[in-house]
Amino acid sequence: MNSSAQAAPTDDANKLDSQLEATLKEIGIPPRPAILEEISREMRSDDPDFNRVANLISRDVGLAASFLKTANSPFYGYRHKARTVRDALVILGLNVAGRTIAGLILRHVLPGGQNMERFWDASDRTAQLSAWLVQKVGKIPDAQSDDAYTYGLFRDCGIPIMMRKFENYPAILTEANNDADRPFTEVEEAHLPTNHALVGCLLAQSWWLPEATCLAIRHQHDYVLMRAGLHSLPAASRRLIAIAQLAEWLLQNATGMNKTQEWTKMGEACLAQLGLTEADLPGLLDEAKLFLEETYNAA
Amino acid sequence: MPDVAFAPGTPSLDSLTGLLDREGCVRAVEELMRHVRDPKHPVAVFWLNIDRFKQINDSLGHLAGDSVLAELANRLALASGNQGRLARMGGDEFVLVVDNCDRATAEHIARDLLATMSHSLDVGNMRLYPSVSIGIALSLAQENARELLERADTTQLEAKRYGGAQFRFAGEDLQPGRLGKLLAREELEVEEALHVALENGGLTLNYQPILRVADNSLEAIEALMRCNCEGTMIPPGRFIPVAEKTGLIVRLGEWTLLTGARFVAHMLETGRRVKLAVNVSRAQLTAPKFTQALYAALACSNCPPELLELEITESLFMDNSDVVQRNIHAALDAGFPLAIDDFGTGYSCLASLKDLPAKKLKLDRAFIVDLPHNARSFAIARAIVHLALDLDMTVVAEGVETAEQYQILEEMGATAIQGYYLARPMAEDNLDDWLAQRGAAQ
Repeated sequence: MNSSAQAAPTDDANKLDSQLEATLKEIGIPPRPAILEEISREMRSDDPDFNRVANLISRDVGLAASFLKTANSPFYGYRHKARTVRDALVILGLNVAGRTIAGLILRHVLPGGQNMERFWDASDRTAQLSAWLVQKVGKIPDAQSDDAYTYGLFRDCGIPIMMRKFENYPAILTEANNDADRPFTEVEEAHLPTNHALVGCLLAQSWWLPEATCLAIRHQHDYVLMRAGLHSLPAASRRLIAIAQLAEWLLQNATGMNKTQEWTKMGEACLAQLGLTEADLPGLLDEAKLFLEETYNAA
Repeated sequence: MPDVAFAPGTPSLDSLTGLLDREGCVRAVEELMRHVRDPKHPVAVFWLNIDRFKQINDSLGHLAGDSVLAELANRLALASGNQGRLARMGGDEFVLVVDNCDRATAEHIARDLLATMSHSLDVGNMRLYPSVSIGIALSLAQENARELLERADTTQLEAKRYGGAQFRFAGEDLQPGRLGKLLAREELEVEEALHVALENGGLTLNYQPILRVADNSLEAIEALMRCNCEGTMIPPGRFIPVAEKTGLIVRLGEWTLLTGARFVAHMLETGRRVKLAVNVSRAQLTAPKFTQALYAALACSNCPPELLELEITESLFMDNSDVVQRNIHAALDAGFPLAIDDFGTGYSCLASLKDLPAKKLKLDRAFIVDLPHNARSFAIARAIVHLALDLDMTVVAEGVETAEQYQILEEMGATAIQGYYLARPMAEDNLDDWLAQRGAAQ
């Protein structure tokens, strides 16, 4: 937890209330999509019916195509390519498949709007790079490509919600991205009664994502905790945070996209978490560029 | 209130024998020990273990073993008649708890038990001559239920060492025994189950309507968490204490906030404006991000804060720490209504009521359960109700189970009633039906 924990919203309480009030009539965040419920139900059953789940996924052609593409992505590292949705389910297992699908549906159920396309593209690239990094960096205890991928997609799912709820959020986001000193969420809380990391954690929790993923979403900007490597945050969560942070840095440097200050604040702690040093970065960056080219230009 | 009390209708039962299980037993002993008035008439715990049961199981198989257990459980029930509560503590271990029992009475009961249990028993074509070893412990003023049970358990082992088929009385010193370890292991299992439930969709909310006395309209609905781990329901009385101890209650509480907020929003969409009450735990209120979590739940739903009531216990309201008071006031500033939960069980004096920033008081079920027979409960309940009404508070009586209790509380002037007499906690689908049938939502 960072020291800004108590940024109480009392001063602007009335203003904020009216902001919340004003958005009440807008669409809320849908609860966990029904298809995920169906997959969970099969997962819990003693004799899961893969055909039934495959049929459910195949009803949505777009979803089925994205699912196949993701299942065949090099980061899963399977030699055999899945040709049908059912193949992909069997190869990945229902557990991993469920989380992959959750990530694929996420962007469709969250509020859209201006600039959101770029946001989701960046999320997708960060997620792909995260999964690739797990393979690349070698053995990282408790870190798996599919977890890193899901985390990459869900990490910032609080942002579209904040965008929708608070009119002035884009300006706050810019300020938080440029602040080289305060934790990101502290900048948000200076203006708003909550922050995107906490909102994202609640959403992920209500979609029953793994505990380590939820906690990593909640504490993604908690650089004090990351630097200290405290056990109040599970090691698996710290590794997810570090992987995605490195993936984001690679993406920003590979594409010349807007740079944030997160690496300045957390880079060192993240490298330490992954057993890397500054000297490893140039090589990784070159390879990441190749990976991005292959993944996004191949089609 | 968080329904962790020993609520009727949700006892913790052993599936083979229908007796109380280990946790149910601990709760029953706690309950009886609370009512000991005279140390000369303590609570007696008889811990019984079947001699050579392993041999029966090994030679005749587990099915035969189970039928022996069931038969002996039956005999135990017959022998104890109406006195006391019976529990199966696992395996071949049984406990009989009797209140108001001095040493002479306990000795008498123990002899009876030895005699009844030793009658021969036919299993298939085998005739068995079972016997039991009994450890007896009489409650001491300063000990708790678990310590009392543990003394009885240790003494039973002693009786067995001396050859079995006999009883022994426990000394007053507690020697840590197996029960402590068993309970610790059980807690670990519950903790594990909670983690699994949080990742597998094993949590749900049940909803219990609270109705106004004046016109039978809906005052609010209380959300109560249920935990299902791979097909097994874990009663709240078991998982809430573990969640509190491990800090998991913060995540469970946040899940409840969001799920509750979505429920309210969903109700609004269907044209029903209902207030949902959710329990807030100490760990949540002392967590630094409490207010942010409240707003996060609102941000993820379309729930107006005034329809999400936070139930906070009296002792938490009285907690003077900065963080608790700041969080309570931040919740109030954000527009959440507050209710004082379980009022009357804490140590605060009635005068403190005027200082608490809540508009609603929920009278603890402990006062209701004794009505109409207990004049003291009646007097206290009436005093609390009248004072709260004078302070312009809404008064809800919890745990109302009979028409008689309802009538008494109505006459006292309680604003609204919650309890099995009106409606049990139910799943969301059932609540929809219930509301539709009544047409009571406003």
